[in-house]
Amino acid sequence: MASGALRGGGRAAETRWRRHIVGQLKLRDRRQHDKFQDLIRFYTRLLEKTSLTPARCPSSDSSLSALLHQNNQLKNTTGELAYQVVQLQQQIRVKDSVLDEQHARQQQEEPLLQGAFDSRLALQGRVETVRGDMGALKSDYDALLERQRGAETKLREEKLRGGNLLQDVIHLKQQEAANMNTRNERRCRAREAARSKVTVETSGSAPTSRSSSPKRESERRLFRSASATSPRILSSIRALFQRRRGQSVSSLQEDQLFAVGVCLSARLPVRALHVLEAHEQGINAVRFNSSSELLATGGTDRAVKLWDVRAGSLTHRATLDGSTEGVTCIEFDPKGPRVLAASYDKSALLWRLDDPVPKVTLTGHSRKVTAARFGLNLQVVTGSADRTIRLWDLQRACCVQVVEVPSYCSDLVCTGYCIISGHYDSKIRVWDTRAVRCIQELPAHGKVTSLDISPDHRHLLSCCRDDCLQLIDLRGRSYERVCFRADGFKCGSDSTKAVISPDGCFLAAGSADGAVYIWNVSTGNLETRLPDKHSTSISAVSWSPSGEYVVSVDLSRRAVLWRDF
Amino acid sequence: MADDKDVLRDVWFGRIPTCFLLNQDEVTEREAEPYYLLLPRVSYLTLVTDKVKKHFHKVIRTDDAEEMWFEYEGTPLKWHYPIGVLFDLHASNTVLPWSITVHFKNFPERDLLHCPSHSVIEAHFMSSIKEADALKHKSQVVNDMQKKDHKQLWMGLQNDKFDQFWAMNRKLMEYPTEDGGFRFIPFRIYQTLSDRPFIQKQFRPVSPEGHVHTLGDLLKEVYPVALPTEGGPKRFQVVIHGIEPLLETPLQWLSEHLSHPDSFLHICVIPVPSD
Repeated sequence: MASGALRGGGRAAETRWRRHIVGQLKLRDRRQHDKFQDLIRFYTRLLEKTSLTPARCPSSDSSLSALLHQNNQLKNTTGELAYQVVQLQQQIRVKDSVLDEQHARQQQEEPLLQGAFDSRLALQGRVETVRGDMGALKSDYDALLERQRGAETKLREEKLRGGNLLQDVIHLKQQEAANMNTRNERRCRAREAARSKVTVETSGSAPTSRSSSPKRESERRLFRSASATSPRILSSIRALFQRRRGQSVSSLQEDQLFAVGVCLSARLPVRALHVLEAHEQGINAVRFNSSSELLATGGTDRAVKLWDVRAGSLTHRATLDGSTEGVTCIEFDPKGPRVLAASYDKSALLWRLDDPVPKVTLTGHSRKVTAARFGLNLQVVTGSADRTIRLWDLQRACCVQVVEVPSYCSDLVCTGYCIISGHYDSKIRVWDTRAVRCIQELPAHGKVTSLDISPDHRHLLSCCRDDCLQLIDLRGRSYERVCFRADGFKCGSDSTKAVISPDGCFLAAGSADGAVYIWNVSTGNLETRLPDKHSTSISAVSWSPSGEYVVSVDLSRRAVLWRDF
Repeated sequence: MADDKDVLRDVWFGRIPTCFLLNQDEVTEREAEPYYLLLPRVSYLTLVTDKVKKHFHKVIRTDDAEEMWFEYEGTPLKWHYPIGVLFDLHASNTVLPWSITVHFKNFPERDLLHCPSHSVIEAHFMSSIKEADALKHKSQVVNDMQKKDHKQLWMGLQNDKFDQFWAMNRKLMEYPTEDGGFRFIPFRIYQTLSDRPFIQKQFRPVSPEGHVHTLGDLLKEVYPVALPTEGGPKRFQVVIHGIEPLLETPLQWLSEHLSHPDSFLHICVIPVPSD
């Protein structure tokens, strides 16, 4: 390839020097290589052979004896070696047997070893998984510990705060107790003073009473002999006298009470005049007095509050306390300035309007009192969750009659000698107080939550848990019933109270959706719905006897005064 | 071209029959037999004489043995010259086989290099190749090779593998066609009469005028004494690989085909035997 460029010079010249070189090389190899190749190979092989043969060859004849000697020595050595060989063979045999034994043992041990290896692997696997689990648990535990620590510090702070708050509360309570003590003391002193005054008064007015009613005179004597010192009896005596005096000489106050009479037309409320948070907890009951100027509300916060209804707003007048539990029902005495309330504390309480301390506490029920109404002859009728209806004599402040009823009594009304009670067993029962027996049992559609009687005592309204108002005609023996329902109206609780308007033309009830529903009795249709003012279930409504106002109260402390304009 | 390949093979497989004799002064336990070998011309003495050493170690006390060295008719033989060069230079016109005396004592420190292992030979061989490539290609080819390629060259020589060696050496012999040859021809001219070990100069394969340089041109340039004078008797032989190429032989071709494995063209100029 490389000589390609050189070829141009002339093929003959080019081949000459090349041929010369090739020929020379062949000649050189023939002379130097080929001639000697085999010779040297043979020589080398010969040299290797000779180097294998013993190098030295003893060359002397005289060494024959030495050789013989050597021969003998070698023979001896051979014998020794043969003996050694035998011995060694024996040893080998022994060792072989031992070896066999060991092999057998090894073969026996091998499966065991394999098993052990397998179990070791399995255990290692388990160790790995357990370690992984442990790691996960540990991290969880750490997180929880951290959270616990945080929670503990928070708890400590809260405890500290709680302690401080408790201190504050105790301090306040102590102050309150001190106040109460001073108040009680003052009241006690006042009562002492009043008692001495009453004694004087009794002695002063005795001749008058004697002259007018000798029978009462004997009664009075009887009392005096029983217990002249009892303040309750004294007060009842005083009431007696007042009453008697009222009968004989009609006072200005009583004129006021009876002046109102019957409302001719109730006006449909349209507008909320006044919305206020009336109590500290939910309000259970509301009632106007007969002159429509005073409103009483009773709540879970144990208080009965009196409100003046004036110029379209409610003004707080007084708080009547004495109940140890929530108030369930309120009624004004239609014949006097008194208010009656039923309470969760298994009692009914009677206040004078001008005294925040209860005048009479009627105790005897074994469970909460759900309804308390004024009846005939200075009697009070109470219904209770303990399945009794009790009649109380206010003069003696004691229970005069106990009527066992078959079910939880949720509400009752009085009309003449009849008591009509509503029950949780979906029944309305009519009782004759004189015979003390159930004279009629009317069915309702669900648990009866409230009863109301029209001012003319002709119709009875019941409210049931099946979201239905029922108007019962009390005239005659047929007890005809009309039902009132409305879309959206839902009875919010077991004590939701519905009312009849004072003219008997409308029914009003509060719903669980916070709206007041008003039905027209004559058409049986829903007349109006007053929404948006209450945010929770309405517990009771009351229509003023003048027909002017409606008040609704709910379980979130709110009271709303409604009017027609 | 088949001829060229044959020339390469003939050059590679050139052998010199040699007889190794132990020096008489060596202390021996018994008489040492001579040892005969066919020495490759392209290899190095210390690379191929392990058997000789083993042979003579049998008869001399090993603790007396120092480094082995060789001598021919009073001249210590330099192991770092190729064997063919040593023979052509010192014994080309003597009776074969070539008798070399083996010494284990009195190493001539002034004349010879020590050769404790084959790695020394390898280093010398590789440095020669690199030097030659520096002349031929400015070292480009040899530098582009990998370590294993260098190893392949050496192993080819050490194990006398012609194909293995030339697979790699082919690259070292390439040149751009337009140049017409290498940059410079790596050559060395040895002579017996001078103290100089050898003549080495830069010489291009093609003249500036474009003429192809021949062996004669080279000698005329660097060693004109070697050329036969006009009409006078021939005084010197110009020997490469045991042969005398014609002076008209192109130098580039010689460098490609008659170079030793170390890439150098070793030229021996020896006096014509008198008889």
